[in-house]
Amino acid sequence: MNRKQLWKLLSGLGLAFGVPWFLMILIPYFQQATASPVPYSEEEGVDGFTVYPDPSYGTVGASDYGLKIYEREGCAYCHTQVVRPTYAGPDMWLGWGGGPETARETRPQDFAGEAFAHLGYQRIGQDLSNVGTRSTREELHRVLSDPGSVSTGSAMPSYRHLYRKTDSGWAPTGDAEALVDYLLSRKKDQPLPDSVR
Amino acid sequence: MSDNSQVTAEDVQERAGIDRSVRFPVMFFFTSAAVWLFVATLFGFLSALKLAVPALWADCQFLGYGRLFPAHMTALVYGWAMQAGIGVMLWLVARLTRVEMTKAKAVIVAGHVWNFAVGLAVFAIWIGKGRSIPWLDFPGWMWMLFALSYLMMVVWVIPMFRVRRTGDVYISEYYVIGAAVWFPWIFITANVLINRGAAPVMAAGAAGWFVTNLIYFWFAPIALAVAYYIVPKIAGRPIFSYPLAKLGFWTLAILAGWTGFQRFMGGPFPAWMPALSGAATLFILIAVVATCTNLLMTLKGRQKLWEYSPSLRFTMFGMLMFAIYGVLAGMSSFFSVGKVLQFSHFLVGLDTLAVYGFFSMTIFGAMYFIVPRVTGCEWVSGGMIRWHFWFSAYGILTLVGVMLVGGLAQGGNMADLDQRFAVSVGNSQGYVIGRICAWFLIGISNLWFVYQMGLMFLGKGRKSEGPTLIHGEPGKSAEAAAGLNPENA
Repeated sequence: MNRKQLWKLLSGLGLAFGVPWFLMILIPYFQQATASPVPYSEEEGVDGFTVYPDPSYGTVGASDYGLKIYEREGCAYCHTQVVRPTYAGPDMWLGWGGGPETARETRPQDFAGEAFAHLGYQRIGQDLSNVGTRSTREELHRVLSDPGSVSTGSAMPSYRHLYRKTDSGWAPTGDAEALVDYLLSRKKDQPLPDSVR
Repeated sequence: MSDNSQVTAEDVQERAGIDRSVRFPVMFFFTSAAVWLFVATLFGFLSALKLAVPALWADCQFLGYGRLFPAHMTALVYGWAMQAGIGVMLWLVARLTRVEMTKAKAVIVAGHVWNFAVGLAVFAIWIGKGRSIPWLDFPGWMWMLFALSYLMMVVWVIPMFRVRRTGDVYISEYYVIGAAVWFPWIFITANVLINRGAAPVMAAGAAGWFVTNLIYFWFAPIALAVAYYIVPKIAGRPIFSYPLAKLGFWTLAILAGWTGFQRFMGGPFPAWMPALSGAATLFILIAVVATCTNLLMTLKGRQKLWEYSPSLRFTMFGMLMFAIYGVLAGMSSFFSVGKVLQFSHFLVGLDTLAVYGFFSMTIFGAMYFIVPRVTGCEWVSGGMIRWHFWFSAYGILTLVGVMLVGGLAQGGNMADLDQRFAVSVGNSQGYVIGRICAWFLIGISNLWFVYQMGLMFLGKGRKSEGPTLIHGEPGKSAEAAAGLNPENA
């Protein structure tokens, strides 16, 4: 093929891919990257919050290091972090939407302050969007060190390398505490302002 | 495509010269790919085992499913599939453009960088530096190694098209050029956006988009370039319809970029994104039907060749899997089906079907064709090729079957309001055992493949005039039985 033919083909290929690349990836990405928080209106009495998403969202104490552990152990391969609307699945029914008062489906802004939304790949385990609203620190340590003792027939492996064996059971290391910090920070239940509802 | 009846002695010599010029890079990529395939199979088997028996090796952090599975996918995608594909691409480019490769050393250097990157990526994931992002698990900075290595190869490939001597442009060239330029674009976009960390949800979207785009914009073009090369060669006639081939190409090219978001049905995306992705995935079926019809019509009346020619058998099986992949991907793009199958075992089956069932099987076909030509010796035994084929075929069909049925069962349980979530976990355990069996079969098949590839790499193949065929007919020489003239190829 001569130079002209090659350039013609290359621009055809570029156009075929460039259009969806621009419209489907770049524009939505930068729209989301530059979105500003939505303030609540005067009438909405929401205690503690002035804007949605709240700037403290997604970060709790040592959870940044906990996130690293969540990622390195591949948690997102079996656990999702997305509560789908009722038309897509019974996620709300299963109690994954958060506390009884605040339960709702996942919104894009719920991941504000995080680098990557671990929406997940498979659901071999529960959805973790709101695991922080339904679990205590002790429960999570127990699940992580000995999943079988919490639910029989669980497909979850244990993460005992994050624990030390003691006479009374499994004592968490700093890594385990960080991971649990991260899990306890999983609360996607900030009430929505009327304007985005 | 030149008419096979007019092959002259000069043509044969010219082809041999071209084959020799790419021998070392092609064999380098093929052999290291074969080794990575074996590593990937091992990780795949262990991860399936670990999923079925979670209490196994409970204290060892290196044998958790969450590390074995990403290591498996990374080794499979970057170590095996992409390397094998690059090897095939180099050979196809040289053959199609009829240009001898002059930069073989530079390409081999790039290949070493690629292998180093894969090794580092798999090791990093395994020791706990992974990111939990399917197909992009390696630590954030590592994408530069892959991109650099790929660009170091492609920069020599594209100019080869410009100095091309023959006049007509064959459809395989379209696919190869497409794959060559699309991959860096997709790969760099996905990695840069994810590493930037400014828009978390769209970063996750870009990661899902990357997976389907890698399949449709890299794996599919390379495999289709192979099929459009191998099938007419073995059948000994030109492709059935050139306009149909072009229709298939441009349909795929225009639609594939829109796919990916159908993985997030009901997720935190604007509803038009999964809908548009689903529609695009569905319309890609036009490309699948056009391509498969074209190849079958090319082969019409000469299907018997499938019994003898390993290249044709693997390639056609790969194309069958391509059709199945297209149908399953299209089916799960319907909201009513997709919402049930989403997050179930089906997704693993679908991704593996693309990489192993469709892409790898076609590439095996290409390898059985290419390796004897570049090394100058024939495969050791038709029997081993036969074992490789059947174990691979049964392995991948088992995997896809159990993951599909298992996915339907698991997804159905999850969608059932009357059942606890644990029921879906318990009920799908049986299918996970099927997954172990599948990887076991695939592992066995790859033992034969790696062994044979090793022999060819060392130049210990059969020295013979005729190609190694799967079956010979009694009383006839194998080539005559297949109606194959070795000089045609």
